[in-house]
Amino acid sequence: MIGTVLIGVGLGLLLLGGLGTLRFRDPYARLQASGVGDIGGAVLVLVGLVVHLGWEATGGILVVLILFVVFTGPLSTHAIAKAAFMRGERPKEK
Amino acid sequence: MRTYVIAALCLTAVPPLVRLWVGPTLWDRLIGAASLNVRVALALAAEAAFTGHGILLDVALAYAILGFLGTVLVARFGERGER
Repeated sequence: MIGTVLIGVGLGLLLLGGLGTLRFRDPYARLQASGVGDIGGAVLVLVGLVVHLGWEATGGILVVLILFVVFTGPLSTHAIAKAAFMRGERPKEK
Repeated sequence: MRTYVIAALCLTAVPPLVRLWVGPTLWDRLIGAASLNVRVALALAAEAAFTGHGILLDVALAYAILGFLGTVLVARFGERGER
């Protein structure tokens, strides 16, 4: 039950992050929506899978995947933002 | 449950695909590709966890690593200005 709710909330967060990528007007705003939505949604879905199916069915690899997403998500977000800034992309006013 | 989760993940993969297709700059396309990588790795992990095929978990981990490497690589090359 708790696992189903966690998976549902994670899927909703992934969908909202994707819609924010479509809706915002500037690469930095899109990056913020996509980064936060992806990391939070992925962690929630993976934790929900572990809770829903039990520890034996999934093993430790899902925990490794969670740690990998948590550590490398901000890293790739920062790489994209830094590259965009170094190439002269500036945030739009208003 | 498994069908619903996989179908919902496919639905959440539509906005990054659109951003990858229409994105005006290189950075928008890169954002779409990074989001798409996360969703594909999640779909692989969900399929592995629901069906019990443990080897798909390793595939999901390898896909996540390679997707992260590709994102950082394209960002670094785009930062220097090589096309």
